[in-house]
Amino acid sequence: MAVERKWGMAVDADKCTGCQACVVACQSENNIPVNEPDHFLQRRAIQWIRIERYWEGEFPDVRARFVPMLCQHCENAPCESVCPVFATYHNNEGLNVQVYNRCIGTRFCANNDPWNVRFFNFWEPVWPETLRNQLNTDVSVRSRGIMEKCTFCIQRIRRTTRDAGLEGREVTDGDVVPACVQACPTNALVFGDLNDHDSQVAHLREDGRQYRILDHLGTEPSVYYMAKIDPYAAEGEHA
Amino acid sequence: MALTRRQLLKYSGLGFLGAVVFAGCRIPEQEFIAESPVMIPEDLVRGDDAYYATLARPSTGVESVLVRVMQGRAKKIEGNPDYPMSRGKHSAQAEATLQELYHPDRIATPLRRVGERGSGEFESVSWSEALDELARRLEDHRGVPDAVAIVTEPLRGALGTIVDRFAENYGARRYSFEAVDQTVVRTVFNRIYGQERLPTFDIQNAHYVLSFGADFLSHWHAPLHYNWHYGEFRGETGGRGKLVQIEPRFSLTAANADKWVYINPGTEGILALAIAKAILDSGEGVEDAALAAFINNNAQDAATVADLTGVKADVIETLAHDFAANQPGVAIGGGLAAAQTNGLFNMTAVYALNALVGNVGKKGGVTFNPPAPVPNVVSSASANSLTDFQRLADDIRHGAVTAVLVHGVDPAHGTPGSMQFGRALRENAEFVASFSNFMDETTLQADLVLPDMASLESWGSDVPDPGPGYEAVALQQPVVMPFVEGRAFGDVLLALVEELGGSMTRQMPWDTMEAANRSLAQEIWIKNRGSVRSFDSFEEFWVAILQRGGWWDTNATGGAPQAPDVSQDPGSAFPSFTGAAGDYPFHLLPFPSHSMGDGSDAHLPWLQATPDPITTAVWSTWVEVNPRDAESMDVREGDVVNVESPQGSIEAQVYVNPATAPGTVSVPMGQGHSSFGRYAEGGDRNLMAVLDAVSAETTGAFAWGATRVRLAKTGRRERVRKFEGMVVAQTLPHRPVYVISTGNGNGGAH
Repeated sequence: MAVERKWGMAVDADKCTGCQACVVACQSENNIPVNEPDHFLQRRAIQWIRIERYWEGEFPDVRARFVPMLCQHCENAPCESVCPVFATYHNNEGLNVQVYNRCIGTRFCANNDPWNVRFFNFWEPVWPETLRNQLNTDVSVRSRGIMEKCTFCIQRIRRTTRDAGLEGREVTDGDVVPACVQACPTNALVFGDLNDHDSQVAHLREDGRQYRILDHLGTEPSVYYMAKIDPYAAEGEHA
Repeated sequence: MALTRRQLLKYSGLGFLGAVVFAGCRIPEQEFIAESPVMIPEDLVRGDDAYYATLARPSTGVESVLVRVMQGRAKKIEGNPDYPMSRGKHSAQAEATLQELYHPDRIATPLRRVGERGSGEFESVSWSEALDELARRLEDHRGVPDAVAIVTEPLRGALGTIVDRFAENYGARRYSFEAVDQTVVRTVFNRIYGQERLPTFDIQNAHYVLSFGADFLSHWHAPLHYNWHYGEFRGETGGRGKLVQIEPRFSLTAANADKWVYINPGTEGILALAIAKAILDSGEGVEDAALAAFINNNAQDAATVADLTGVKADVIETLAHDFAANQPGVAIGGGLAAAQTNGLFNMTAVYALNALVGNVGKKGGVTFNPPAPVPNVVSSASANSLTDFQRLADDIRHGAVTAVLVHGVDPAHGTPGSMQFGRALRENAEFVASFSNFMDETTLQADLVLPDMASLESWGSDVPDPGPGYEAVALQQPVVMPFVEGRAFGDVLLALVEELGGSMTRQMPWDTMEAANRSLAQEIWIKNRGSVRSFDSFEEFWVAILQRGGWWDTNATGGAPQAPDVSQDPGSAFPSFTGAAGDYPFHLLPFPSHSMGDGSDAHLPWLQATPDPITTAVWSTWVEVNPRDAESMDVREGDVVNVESPQGSIEAQVYVNPATAPGTVSVPMGQGHSSFGRYAEGGDRNLMAVLDAVSAETTGAFAWGATRVRLAKTGRRERVRKFEGMVVAQTLPHRPVYVISTGNGNGGAH
């Protein structure tokens, strides 16, 4: 039997321009309701992947740093262990999975999620009737009162695995492409099997610029970041 | 049974203990999969899908895309991996064209005005009635030369040909409208390098990019293509390139640059010439007597340059040295630097820099695009200048133009308020027909509305401008059945050709847009070269070219450029601004909204809700103010201020931006639609009300960076709708969220 897969992502912060193509691609693929103006004021907008922008310095020595942020699919995910109904669990491919049918909306998982990448549906999602035509039939629409989050586009993983099975071949590196990775115009996002030592994402994990966000928590995130390069950054300024 | 609080806690505790034991037993994965109630719905794979290659036409430019279609509905837009301008990638704007297709406020049938113009009172009519009326009205106006104006977006490909020929044969005036036009850059490339089409900057292979105001990562020329280039430019293989952005505003490109250099608005040309002079004096430039004379005659002395531009002399020296030493490199100019009264001078100086370092027509430099592979197909569609549109508005007012046909643009929203374009249509035009599928501000003034198809329902073609540096044609096919009773603009014009007859029938022998595009493809098939070839029958070729989304030939490049010609007068080196500095203390630095551009995508909710990358603001018009300026004016984030120019004023929310230069304020374009569907409407915060309708010297282009403003407090506050602060920041001391590497192996954490 083949070695189990462990899906992971590499994010090259040096290539991310903050263009938001990933954000809209994710919303389209995963049936995320439109974030209306009030949702922002209530701080209840849903973006499974978001671009965080950090300021550094003041004019004229000012810099904006962009960090794409999504569920880190931790190996020891702190959000999983607190779910009283096993709505969120770790599957055998390294995914942090959410079973919407089971979720009862305690929000313990969000409370225990250090990255703030889990979202609660405060409302029944509503689209004008015509816009519902666009909804992805592979992805369920989440109802009011339950949690949702990035799935690494599990529907694409399943479809690709099924198609490969029908064609009698193995899934190879690059076959599975989540919507955000597919859209990213600069190729800042790379997805693949971390257990496949020849995969691009496994190589990037060994890169000298690699780090993981909030690594000290010991949750073993599956998302690896490559440091932003700034040749003009003063030595010591960033210690 | 009612639970007491104590009981609840007890049972919860027991449940939790059970959960822990349960988890500890590690229930095999298969058991979850075997029981459907606990499967996640995404475990189920349903139905079959089909992917079709076609074109999406958002405001950021035409993109070749693959559309996933299930059961007759378009579900997802993805980049076409084959097409050289897309390479499998797509923009947020292209993705959102799905919402245009299924928009709840799409105009579903032809409409005839029944109330006053601008009242929005229309009745639904049949297509035959609408076409009859259009033909009758056009027949009525035919006798008077130039009495009809056809205004569209810059159109290329088969539709561009059809509209051009229709206008020519009918005797109508033909206008192309872009709120943020590229007239100056086009003029400069025509003057210096003899090019009709926009060039492509080979950022991918450049070691050094010196950009003067060109926000090519956000909304300038072909942002998707340049984002892809940027990714490669930052790649490891060819060494990491260096990007320097010289611009008064901290744009998205400035945010991603290795160095952002603030420059006083409108003085970019003076700086470019100072850099050129330094390169020339150091003997690092190519030998060209005419070019040297141009630089020597126009360059200012070092002290004056530093004083005018606000860029220190040692920085200029460093820029000159780095640019000359790190070739191949490329200088790019546009955006705010071109949108000044002296835009022509600025762009001439910037693009002469490329000639000086000898990177024109070379890898990592400026690449030229060949004309369309098929004659008579429009490959370069330059927009008309602001001056042209001012004359058009005047001609409508004076009765010289009596009928206006509008497609794909909203000049009533996108031209400066002082031009009163919408009012001229409302009060003076005899007949206005709109081919828009949304009730935008121009369509609101129409007598007859003949709604176009969405791009995913239509036939079409495009010759990308700028292109990939070689011949390319992209094809568009309908991927779903029409969702409403629209009819393609091209098909309507072709139907009119039959009605109006005469020489037009010979000029446009096609019945439909599909036939026109097949005819275009036939001419490519005959060439038997390029990416799709060696087909014996045209039908096989047609299927193959539609499947790939187009055709291109990497060997058919733009060829060697002519020697640079800088002999024509570039005009004044110095910018002028509307509004005296005493009364209007701030330079207004407008910018096209990152997601919605000039506002033509403002009706799409995904794009309204897409955070601006710098401020993270959504669904609003805001004004970016330097923190010290804000402090001295005693304003803070969310304060509603009036942004006032001598032309007019709008309200905007203050966003205190640490990257905004003192003495400048920035406001995005794109909002303030009085009519454009439920997601765009609301408020009157259209920046165009503030901008003076001032044209650049010689070119007549819109100098949208030439207005000064002041801010007046209203005393009201509104919370800024923004993504920033949505979640708690995770920055802890010594626990990095982001890490910076200086590129030499040393990194630091934040």
